[in-house]
Amino acid sequence: MRRLPPIVRVAENSLIAAAVSLLMLGCSPNARRAPGAAVDRQQQDPAISGNGNLLAVIVEQRGRPTVELRDLRSGQRLPLRHLNRQQPHSSPSLSWNGRYLAVITQRGNRRMALVEDRVTGRAHPLRPPGNRDPVRVSLAPDGQRMAIQVADRGRWRVEMLDLSSMLEPDRPGGLRVTTPQEGT
Amino acid sequence: MIAQSRKNNTGGRSCLLRWSSVLLFTLVGGCSSEDIRPMQNLNSALDRSSDARRDPTLAQEWLATLSSRGGRERIELINLRNGTPVPAPGLNRADAQPVSISLSGDGERLALVQQREGRTELMLYRRSIGALQRLDINPPGVPRQVSLDGDGRTLAVQISRSGRWDVDIIRLP
Repeated sequence: MRRLPPIVRVAENSLIAAAVSLLMLGCSPNARRAPGAAVDRQQQDPAISGNGNLLAVIVEQRGRPTVELRDLRSGQRLPLRHLNRQQPHSSPSLSWNGRYLAVITQRGNRRMALVEDRVTGRAHPLRPPGNRDPVRVSLAPDGQRMAIQVADRGRWRVEMLDLSSMLEPDRPGGLRVTTPQEGT
Repeated sequence: MIAQSRKNNTGGRSCLLRWSSVLLFTLVGGCSSEDIRPMQNLNSALDRSSDARRDPTLAQEWLATLSSRGGRERIELINLRNGTPVPAPGLNRADAQPVSISLSGDGERLALVQQREGRTELMLYRRSIGALQRLDINPPGVPRQVSLDGDGRTLAVQISRSGRWDVDIIRLP
């Protein structure tokens, strides 16, 4: 590895950044409407799976904000076993292959996070420590951790949770458990 | 043992109470949340480094949040191995307010919506080269929420157009 003076490295990085900016400006991104939604139907709060194949969005079902899962390649809607109730839903999040879908649901007057395992069909309800209502959640790509936004003494906090004792890893390469050597 | 009852006058009632407690615990346990473990060291480190945090987005080894310190909110990138914020040169502009963020699974790219000079912009940041670029929205609309896939090549973005919320899928080079 050649060693360059800091000023040369900064100049090199700036040149790369400028070149990338020109490339990005030169070709405007290829965009399309998320497939599988009726033209007159509103869609909110998108979450894309790590492999880029699945999309979770919040849509209105009989007036209730409900999470919907779609295959981006076919536009087909995929069934969810536990998420036809406990609305309103918000803040969906998907693991790498979309095995796990995390979303905030409501039970009675309390908000709670729920992770649906699409392989086993199980639902894993999660309540943040301190029994606080979650506001937003983000699932790690392999499903082994979750970040939850909660209100605590008048300010927003983010709590990290370890889900490794509850969920199998969902890693790139398919719906299987990899050995530590295979890693990501 | 729970089944053991006391051999005194209140023994029968005490035993009944205990069995009721066990039954109640089982019933509640069956429909309550599972045993989850807060990551105490990481959470303490997160609390120490900011006054408030919101809008978390997780990559495999990284967490990004909108973090407030001294009354100013900025995007902060945190290494999950040690819970410390890492520099992200060029990401936070003094004249911009972040609205929504999403990390790619590998932590290399970060999509964001920001407000600057009265306009709402969709941006893409590349960490390794410290480059922040504006992405065009076509047909035009106002972006709100973003979500990037694992390698940061596919972006889902919630956009308002003609008074309605919609979601666009954008393929990025």
